[in-house]
Amino acid sequence: MSTADLDLPATESGATNPSGPPVGLGRRNRRNRRIPISVLIAVGWLALVLLAVLAAPLLPGLDPLRGDFAHPAAPPGAGHWLGTDADGRDVLARTIAGARASFAVAALTVLVGLVLGGTLGLAAGWFGGWTDRIIGFATELLMSVPALIMVMIAVSLRGPSLPVIGSLIGLFTVPSFSRVVRAVVLSLADRGFVVAARMIGTSPWRILRREIVPHVAAAAAAFAFTATTVAIVAEGSLSFLGFGLRPPAPSWGGIIAEGRTTLGSAPWISLAPAAALCLTVLAANYLGERLRSADQKGGPAR
Amino acid sequence: MRLRLPGAGRAGRAVGVLLAVVLAAAALPHVMPGSAALAALGPTATPDQIAAYDRRIGAGQNVLSGALHWLGGAAHGDFGTSLSTGVPVATELGERIPVTLELFLAAQLVALAIAVPLALASAWRPGGLLDRIATAGAFLWLAVPGFVLGLVLIWVAAVQLRILPATGWVRFGQDPAQNLKDLVLPALTLGLTEAAVYLRTLRAQLIGTLDQTYIAAARARGMATRRLLVRRALRPSALPLVTLIGIGLGMSLGGSVLVETLFAVPGVGNLAAVAIAGRDFPVVQAVVVLSAVGVVGATVLVDLFYRRLDPRIAHEHR
Repeated sequence: MSTADLDLPATESGATNPSGPPVGLGRRNRRNRRIPISVLIAVGWLALVLLAVLAAPLLPGLDPLRGDFAHPAAPPGAGHWLGTDADGRDVLARTIAGARASFAVAALTVLVGLVLGGTLGLAAGWFGGWTDRIIGFATELLMSVPALIMVMIAVSLRGPSLPVIGSLIGLFTVPSFSRVVRAVVLSLADRGFVVAARMIGTSPWRILRREIVPHVAAAAAAFAFTATTVAIVAEGSLSFLGFGLRPPAPSWGGIIAEGRTTLGSAPWISLAPAAALCLTVLAANYLGERLRSADQKGGPAR
Repeated sequence: MRLRLPGAGRAGRAVGVLLAVVLAAAALPHVMPGSAALAALGPTATPDQIAAYDRRIGAGQNVLSGALHWLGGAAHGDFGTSLSTGVPVATELGERIPVTLELFLAAQLVALAIAVPLALASAWRPGGLLDRIATAGAFLWLAVPGFVLGLVLIWVAAVQLRILPATGWVRFGQDPAQNLKDLVLPALTLGLTEAAVYLRTLRAQLIGTLDQTYIAAARARGMATRRLLVRRALRPSALPLVTLIGIGLGMSLGGSVLVETLFAVPGVGNLAAVAIAGRDFPVVQAVVVLSAVGVVGATVLVDLFYRRLDPRIAHEHR
């Protein structure tokens, strides 16, 4: 698994300029039905990392804990593709193990953010009035406390476990999820098909379920990619500060932090997982951005 | 559409949010295990001494009276005493806030010096080569988290080139030259990360502005490009950027925990990290409230600033 050869195509793909010149009215119909190569690369990278996470326990050579004492801090080469760390442990195996921890945190974060934030956003946008005001107050409260510091406090009290870290980072993505969803609901409220459904006497719950939620799903899915990157970066920062997941299952952030002391003599111990992290964040960011712009262009006029 | 006293509802909500944060912070001594009094007075303390200490710091009370106690002290500039150093929290904060602000300002300089010229050049020819490179570059850059960037900067500047110190901090008053040297890497780490966000925001706004008819009119009159961009386009396009910087300034009161810890900069964020690890809850309480005050205050100020600059906003349906 070479990270270098994925770097260049991704650079070019970023240039597809999602906020370029405005698309005229006549050109709203889909210009290009083929999936762009850049999207394939981003999906491919994420799939590769997921596959590696799932397959690693089955491969005997990829034990993140077994040290090769004959080759401590060995540079990348044939025996160990990404080298070994100070204890002779394989950096590639550790990078994959780190991906497992980072992905687990991200999955929990997105679950919490999507369910809580999605529900709150729907309620705020659909019911309005006091519901909206109370939810607005709660989201404002969450946004005005320092998120990283709050998660650090929770970790210092409850210990650095996956449920604590994942659900708390998730809690701090709730305001953004809620705002994204609320905005979409508000934009839908007086659109033709919703008004029509109301006119023919469809119950509000049914309209919510059948007309609103499907439209909201696309925007929420796009934001889920952003939340994934937020979770990976936030957990990495926590690990870096000593408040993240602990060995024997450190995340990317933890592994990168471990390599700090040997940065001069064996930089690959930190830089290999750091590159994997950046590429993953890049791929998820890119897919989120594509989804967002596809949602805005493909959907009916706003 | 409702017409109201400008900003009254906002300010009311802001006060409500801050009170809620104070309440939440007052709950900290209740959820932090281990008696603060034992930690401060030592194992030989008598129950009477512990009770007196708890009364003084407001630990034995319920959350509401704890919050009132804290607010009463804060009104007199008394935020309690650090459990680990015995120094008043207000003194501690007074020493660290200037450091954090210095770092913030330096980071803003870095971010703006990169973002503003690039955004102007990109927006001048959207879709051109420079724009494509800058846009792609900014997008790539967003994927690099602060701790990775900081680590790479340390690796390049301190380990490979040995031109700058990796960590450490000398106060400006002691040795200005050394202080600036210590400032470079943390300011670059913070500023470079923000530059990408600023560039994207300003570019998008500039492209919208340059589409306006008054720009075309100025161009038709033969106004020089540089003058047109800076005087006619940049100023009306800078609003979202002003918001970002304003909120960033508010947030920076809580300090950048990550960058300050990575580079051992003795700012508020560093203080927070040490205090949390040491369960020094009076300090943690003060930092949480301080950064909430920063964020909420900045939001309100930016809002008012907006209304002054653009009266239409006050009438918009929110």
